[in-house]
Amino acid sequence: MIKIENLEKVYKTEEIETTALNGINLHVKEGEFVSIMGPSGCGKSTLLNVMGLLDKPESGSYKFIDTELLTLNDRERSNFRKRNMGFVFQNFNLIDELTVFENIELPLIYNKVPAGERKKLVNEIIGRMNIVNRSGHFPQQLSGGQQQRVAVARALVTKPKLVLADEPTGNLDSTHGNEVMELLCELNETGTTIVMVTHSSHDASFSNRIINLKDGHVISEKINKGKTEELI
Amino acid sequence: MFKLNLKIALRNLWKNKTSSFINVIGLAIGLAACLMLLLYVTYEWNFDKQGKNAENLYTVMTNIPGDNGKISNTFEGSTTALGPLLKEEIPEIKHLARMNYLKKALIAVGENSFKKLGKFAEPEILKLFDYQYIVGNAATAMQNPKSVILTESTAKVLFGSTQVLNRVVKYQDKEDLTVSAVIKDLPDNTSATLKFDYLMPWAFYEMVEASAKELNWGNFSFVTMALLDPNADITKVNQKIDKVVKVHLEQANQPYFLYPLNKLHLYGKFENGVNVGGDIEQIYLFVALAFGILMIACINFMNMATAKSEKRAKEVGIKKTIGANRVSLIMQFLTESMVLTFIAVIVAIALLEIFLPTFNNLLNIKLSIGYFSASSWMWILGIVFLTGLIAGSYPAFYLSAFNPIQTLKKRIKSGGILAINLRQVLVVGQFCFAIILIISTMVIYRQIQFIKNRPMGIDVNALVEIPQDGELKTKFEVVKSQLLKSGAVTAVSQSSVGLSHRGQNFMDVKWEGMTKPLNTQLFNQVATTYDFIKTNGIKLKEGRDFSKNFASDSAGVLVSAAALKVFGYTNPIGKTVTIFDDKYTIVGVFDDYVWDSPYQSNNPVIVFFDPNRTGTITMRLNEENSIAQNIVAITEITKQVNPAYPTDIKFLNSIYLEKYNSEKTLGILSNLFGGLAIFVSCLGLYGLVAYSAEQRTKEFGVRKVLGASLLNLMQLLSLSFVKMIIVSIIIAVPLSFYLMNKWLMKFEFHTEISWWIIPIAGFGTLIMALVTVSFQAYKSAKANPVDALKYE
Repeated sequence: MIKIENLEKVYKTEEIETTALNGINLHVKEGEFVSIMGPSGCGKSTLLNVMGLLDKPESGSYKFIDTELLTLNDRERSNFRKRNMGFVFQNFNLIDELTVFENIELPLIYNKVPAGERKKLVNEIIGRMNIVNRSGHFPQQLSGGQQQRVAVARALVTKPKLVLADEPTGNLDSTHGNEVMELLCELNETGTTIVMVTHSSHDASFSNRIINLKDGHVISEKINKGKTEELI
Repeated sequence: MFKLNLKIALRNLWKNKTSSFINVIGLAIGLAACLMLLLYVTYEWNFDKQGKNAENLYTVMTNIPGDNGKISNTFEGSTTALGPLLKEEIPEIKHLARMNYLKKALIAVGENSFKKLGKFAEPEILKLFDYQYIVGNAATAMQNPKSVILTESTAKVLFGSTQVLNRVVKYQDKEDLTVSAVIKDLPDNTSATLKFDYLMPWAFYEMVEASAKELNWGNFSFVTMALLDPNADITKVNQKIDKVVKVHLEQANQPYFLYPLNKLHLYGKFENGVNVGGDIEQIYLFVALAFGILMIACINFMNMATAKSEKRAKEVGIKKTIGANRVSLIMQFLTESMVLTFIAVIVAIALLEIFLPTFNNLLNIKLSIGYFSASSWMWILGIVFLTGLIAGSYPAFYLSAFNPIQTLKKRIKSGGILAINLRQVLVVGQFCFAIILIISTMVIYRQIQFIKNRPMGIDVNALVEIPQDGELKTKFEVVKSQLLKSGAVTAVSQSSVGLSHRGQNFMDVKWEGMTKPLNTQLFNQVATTYDFIKTNGIKLKEGRDFSKNFASDSAGVLVSAAALKVFGYTNPIGKTVTIFDDKYTIVGVFDDYVWDSPYQSNNPVIVFFDPNRTGTITMRLNEENSIAQNIVAITEITKQVNPAYPTDIKFLNSIYLEKYNSEKTLGILSNLFGGLAIFVSCLGLYGLVAYSAEQRTKEFGVRKVLGASLLNLMQLLSLSFVKMIIVSIIIAVPLSFYLMNKWLMKFEFHTEISWWIIPIAGFGTLIMALVTVSFQAYKSAKANPVDALKYE
């Protein structure tokens, strides 16, 4: 589903140039759950941002089901993103002024889904995430685990083809972290492709494939056997 | 989407109470000031524009020729002969009516008598103006010469009712007139020449005023108004008028022209016969003031919004990530500013309701919000929309441009170099405006004081005047001796006009040794009998006042110093001048006194001796008695001699105070709105400092732990703001000096801008800003550092 070839990304400041991505090649199949690991500053978040069309690389190619995405303009990128991708962040990134229900509803509004259907979809996902009794609360009134569930719900409500997760358990204790990982696995089992950046090998063990980055290069790739067999 | 934006906007407002308060109050004050000034401007703008014919109504203006083929004076007024000629010769004129200027005259029903503004006009006036008839109608209202049309309030005052058709009123205690119609009161913003309390037919005017009957070309005491065909070309019509007047009357050397009536109020100033603006300049000034204040409030909003950008950046990032495009974000931020403006306008209308009566009192007008008029709501909503757009657009474009990754991952540097600079520029702009207003206020105040302190050439204190009506004309000598005997007054004189009056101008003067063929200097005339100089406290330079000891004084004149300068006489007493072909001997020369505008030299005056030209009785009160005592005595005596008329005593010093009215209005407005501008600017400054303090809480904690004193921290927080104020002072001072100097140059007599105005305005603003900043700085510097640090 995703074909990334020779991707390069350089960050420039007044004094120095940092190569964040240095000729990355990466293929992700539909329905796959890929973890990206590596030390701090290896470029894994940059890669995720490029995949999420939040950042533009200097060169290379990024094909999503045969569509080249790097040639799109801002408006097309924004449209493509809202139709095909969902995001889960380490620090949840919920909007403080909106309730749980409204936060989850937001991407549907941007996708111009009619109000009646929005309500149905949001209620459905709220039920699935087990946060029904929290739907009228504001983010500050929830625990970290609950907030991340809301964030996952928000990422999934549009039924995206690809979910990009950036350290989704980074701010959670192990119990809540596991809950979120199980949620992602369930989601993956229903066919959603997931790309996750993580520091934790425990979290990575939930995925089918683990890609290791260092200094902007892919240095190794490991198939997670137990999971792959399941997938087969 | 809109509903969601609205929700976010309201929740944001609620969450950030301080900044919401500052924004709402600031905007409300700005909007209230703006609406108030716009009400005033609308009132002025709509002068004489209410009637359905307003677009095609014209009034006749007369040009007075001066030296070198130039036109020395242009005024609204014409002769009796002009009207009939125009009606006959100019086909574009659909209707035309001659009328007099307004005059207060006695109108009575039984004992119920009042002096009210009466007007005489030809019946076609009813076709020029669409008066609203309560009883009677246009067809019959002016058929009978001895009829009168009353306005609603006049009818109510006289009869207590408007249903008074065919009832009788007494005019000037002599003539019985039948009420032929009652019309609705004329709008407040109707020209002074048209705003009567009662209207009488021209045919009746011809019975009581000889000059109205003859067709003459020399007396300009009349007004002629015409309704033109909507398709007429006014330039061509005026060319025709010029031609027609010259063909029919060789000696007519004053060109007449038609001028749109609805322009006269604001575009009433003519130079060399050409319009050069008028009060419209003040209107422009007020509009600038209105939007200036509103702009200051908008700047507060922009500054607060961009200063808080760090807080909002995360929200922008999230929304962009999950699919928001820039337009939807811009719409969201604009919704927020619109919501805020909407709340502010509600507060503003409340403020307006509270302060409008005071404002009306100050300016002596009657403004009100037309809650039931669609157009006023259109205006209000238009202003809300515009304000929301101006205040919201910069933050909206600024915030919506944030890059999502930066906002979500890193802390956005609040602003960036450009944004910080823009914020500083805006604050400097606000304070510049405020300082300019402060300096203007001081200069206007000084100018008014300067003019007030200018020697007037008369002693107006303890001077009163009454109109010389009814028996006071015929029994003047009796009244005079009774008044003097009563001890209430020390001197009494009669004159054709009051001390302060409109020009009674003439030019037909010749003097000994005159070199040019015709005089081009306008002279002003006053006719009087005895004690003119003594009563008015005018300084006699040479010769004497009129005296009973000299029978020849009936052919004598007193001339002003300025008149003497025109004649060029070195030993004037006994020399002669020829006026309207009659020879007069100069018996006295007096110092110039102010009878017209105190801001410029008045035309030279010639005082004639003529007991028949009555008008006003002037009295100098005996200062040994109390004023009340004197007034009672005067009222008693005049009432006894002249029972039909109410005694209308006016103090000359209050009449003279009215001469400062338009500059006083300007002073009041710049004072009021200058104060508001400073307040709203300081409010914004407070918000910025409060926010900056909030952001630097941790830094302050660290500094305090490391040993910074309270003063150090206050300095740290205040310095950057104080710098901005100093920059504003540096920009605003020369600018306001330039502008105010230009303003002062409008006046022939004007003050200079004193140097001490700069430090007062500068330090004043600085101190106010410092107090604002220090209050917040002290609060944050005083906070316990532990609280600040444990937030991490």
